Amino acid sequence: MSVLVRARELIGRPVVTLDGDDIAQVKDLVFDNVSGQVDGFTLNGRGAFAGPLPEALAWEAVYSCGPDAVMIRDRHALTLRDSVVTHPDMSEADVLGSRVISEGGRDLGQVVDVIVLVASVADVVGYEIESSPELSTDRRHLLIPLPDTLSVSGEALIVPEAAIEFVSGDFAEFGAAVEAFRARLRATT
Amino acid sequence: MTLFSEATGRPVISTESARTVGVIAGFIIGTTSKRIIALRLSKTTVDGDTLRWDDLTAFGPDAVTVPSEAIIVSAREPASELSVEEAEVVGKRLLTDAGAELGIVDDVEFDPATGALQHLITAADRVAGDRLIGCGKYAVIVHAV
Repeated sequence: MSVLVRARELIGRPVVTLDGDDIAQVKDLVFDNVSGQVDGFTLNGRGAFAGPLPEALAWEAVYSCGPDAVMIRDRHALTLRDSVVTHPDMSEADVLGSRVISEGGRDLGQVVDVIVLVASVADVVGYEIESSPELSTDRRHLLIPLPDTLSVSGEALIVPEAAIEFVSGDFAEFGAAVEAFRARLRATT
Repeated sequence: MTLFSEATGRPVISTESARTVGVIAGFIIGTTSKRIIALRLSKTTVDGDTLRWDDLTAFGPDAVTVPSEAIIVSAREPASELSVEEAEVVGKRLLTDAGAELGIVDDVEFDPATGALQHLITAADRVAGDRLIGCGKYAVIVHAV
């Protein structure tokens, strides 16, 4: 089973053991900036005044990632933060606000969220952008698909020109748009 | 089948003395055995507030019988695999192991002959008791179907 989620919806989601205890909540997502996969989560403690935890949660240790909770087997699933957050990784916070530029040099808009396809792995498949006048006249939020691999600098995000054809305004249809876009890229390379 | 809500307040009577030793105030469940492992009592006339399921004589429709008053233990003694706070299921959110909430546990249906949990009941759902995985401070966890 796979499901598309907005990264921002994952932030704050409780991390719950199979014994039914909420031991943390998602602070941020950590992406591998080459593979485009989610490496894991940094964590906050639970409760209004709880700050960041020294532990993080690697994706391999996630039991399931559901609409209401991230499930883990037990608290041993958490690891030291440094083993999940390695140097070239990017977090959701780094990507938000970045400009999305096409390979042809067109400014498509500004990232407002990251779209993740959650299955056995969690893959970054798109950005939600506040579109520039290049794409639409009314600064609408649009979804833009990403290739299997992406390069992220934190300053600007470069996407293939063909991505523009697969831009979607509809979250429900976006999964199909990503597949079609990636199939097109594979066919042309 | 009996509901927690029906059985709460039922008297616990010693067959030795024919006296009421307390009334049922709550249920402590075992997540491994998926059954009631102890009853929490209130208004006890003896020291102690917990009755182990294995120590009771019968869970009858009008009263729970026990062989003697001495069978009532204190919760400070290790009567359960769980602390009282963790073992209560009613009022907690019900969460699948896939991370989806099913609602709040309103009631539990059990077999009075064995203490086995039959169903966890929410406003919208009846979840089979054998799906139970865990019960903690935050939620009751069940296998997703």
